[in-house]
Amino acid sequence: MSYELRPHTADVAVAATGATLGETFAAVADGLAAAMCDRIPETGERFSVTVRAEGLEALLFDYLDQLIYERDVRGVLPVANEATIREDDGEWVIEASARGVPLADVTARDVKAVTYSEMEVTETADGWQAYVVLDV
Amino acid sequence: MTTREFDGIQLERVREFVWEIQQEGDMRVPARVLASEALLEEIGDDRTLQQLKNATHLPGITGHALCMPDGHQGYGFPVGGVGATDVEDGCISPGSVGYDINCGVRMVKTNLTYDDVRGHEEELVDALFANVPSGLGGGGIVEGDIDTVEAVLERGVDWALEAGWAVEDDLTHCEDEGRRPDADPSAVSQKAKDRGKNQLGSLGSGNHFLEVQRVTDVYREDVADAYGLESDQIVVLIHCGSRGLGHQTCTDYLRKIEKQHGDLLAELPDKELAAAPAGSELAEEYYGAMCACINFAWVNRQLIMHRVRQVFERVFDRSWESMDMHLLYDVAHNIAKKEHHTVGVDPQGRPVGGGEAADREERELYVHRKGATRAFPAGHPEVPAAYRDVGQPIIIPGSMGAGSYVLRGGEASMDLTFGSTAHGAGRLMSRTQAKQEFWGETVQDELREGSQVYVKAQSGATVAEEAPGVYKDVDEVVRVSDALGIGDKVARTYPVCNIKG
Repeated sequence: MSYELRPHTADVAVAATGATLGETFAAVADGLAAAMCDRIPETGERFSVTVRAEGLEALLFDYLDQLIYERDVRGVLPVANEATIREDDGEWVIEASARGVPLADVTARDVKAVTYSEMEVTETADGWQAYVVLDV
Repeated sequence: MTTREFDGIQLERVREFVWEIQQEGDMRVPARVLASEALLEEIGDDRTLQQLKNATHLPGITGHALCMPDGHQGYGFPVGGVGATDVEDGCISPGSVGYDINCGVRMVKTNLTYDDVRGHEEELVDALFANVPSGLGGGGIVEGDIDTVEAVLERGVDWALEAGWAVEDDLTHCEDEGRRPDADPSAVSQKAKDRGKNQLGSLGSGNHFLEVQRVTDVYREDVADAYGLESDQIVVLIHCGSRGLGHQTCTDYLRKIEKQHGDLLAELPDKELAAAPAGSELAEEYYGAMCACINFAWVNRQLIMHRVRQVFERVFDRSWESMDMHLLYDVAHNIAKKEHHTVGVDPQGRPVGGGEAADREERELYVHRKGATRAFPAGHPEVPAAYRDVGQPIIIPGSMGAGSYVLRGGEASMDLTFGSTAHGAGRLMSRTQAKQEFWGETVQDELREGSQVYVKAQSGATVAEEAPGVYKDVDEVVRVSDALGIGDKVARTYPVCNIKG
């Protein structure tokens, strides 16, 4: 799984790929962290996040939104993201975890929010790819 | 008839600096771009024009969807966009306000001159950086507990006055006197309040900043006198918004609208234009929540201003009152406000765009300004009494290289732009490209050695992303605004010290 930060006039975009949906979403989350911070130390404890949504794009939106929330209330940068995704009774569920690097340990910039702008979640020959624009 | 075309979108030159995209297909109204040829080239270079066209699909949109001279691509609605929708049978659109509800600018005056500050720049920039929280996780000037947050959401700067963080004059010189009466704190989610609690009185990052400036030019003496501005005067600019509380609120409502009004959403060309029908419960809730966030942002800027006063006291060893550190004005540039405007209507009394109006009448509209500033002219009752004879002050932050401007609301603004003008210079270069072109520490060194501008930031990457070269030419933006009569030049300022997150 991998991610890449892509240019966008005022904000920043993340393009990610993975063998599974979960890996792909986790790669986007790693991209979110990279958009906030260039050098990430090995500190911090892991925490879990579970999110349900009505569709895949909504799930990606809500998952990243939840990570931004956790960032602000725990005071940590969510890195080394892992996730699995399944369908459950007409909804999509992501069970994820991240290592929360204390913000005091890093020089990080704010990302305000996730946007739906130009969002893509598509299946490929090798797995999945996703594209998200983040509001900086 | 001069026409230009960008990616299949045609614009016709209506008159100098006014370009029109004709109404066609599913567009409800035509769109207009206010720009010189040079600025139009830049606006046509990304997805701004397509987003402007998309904005014309908003239910109840009236007149024209407008793009200011500093417009650039946003998400859904372009940054630099103004869209007015009918309060009775239109809609309200969170994405057309922006995530950073009430991102805005205030300018604080002083009676210091540049000479008073020379030699103290390092001390001043260090003291400001140490005492105004910025970046991520820096906390806030005020430890927000749940009661404080509720009070701020409800009462805006009135709370700050009671709590000793403001004086009466600060309220009378702020848009809406620093308090939106329609605020509904209960419509703001717990998640948003949790985020805002730790950020009350903080700058954030990105293009937010605090800048000590000096007035370099005065263009209209009479207006500058009314504003209390003169050449060589030191002023302070504060640019920030509603922090995580506002960002979360926009996010929450985008999702709520998506779930509840999916059918309306399906008709819009972009999910980020998500709108709640006027009169619906969700529209009322969002409006109430947005007004509460607006209050939060005003308090945020008020706290920072008051802290700046305290820092100046320490550095210059006298009271802030003796340095006349009064608020010039505070303007929001991501906001939707219920305002009355005269619009063209058809024989059935429905608002129409373009030139087919049978008559003109006053309508109440939700004027959405996303990266655009209110610009009310002289005589307008909402302009503070102190400035009513000359027009509402408008503060336009430029870049660290080009400086900023103070304008006054122009005579033509109500007719042309629902009383609006630009908000800044607009970006030219993406953040990722900026980091390839510029190195933060080099930008800082060059600004200090070349221009005596002292910059202190939490991260070098932010400085690179905010380097002067990434912004459009603010002089050109202001030239167009002035020529159109929507925002007239009053004074120009140049940076002395700048802090960012």
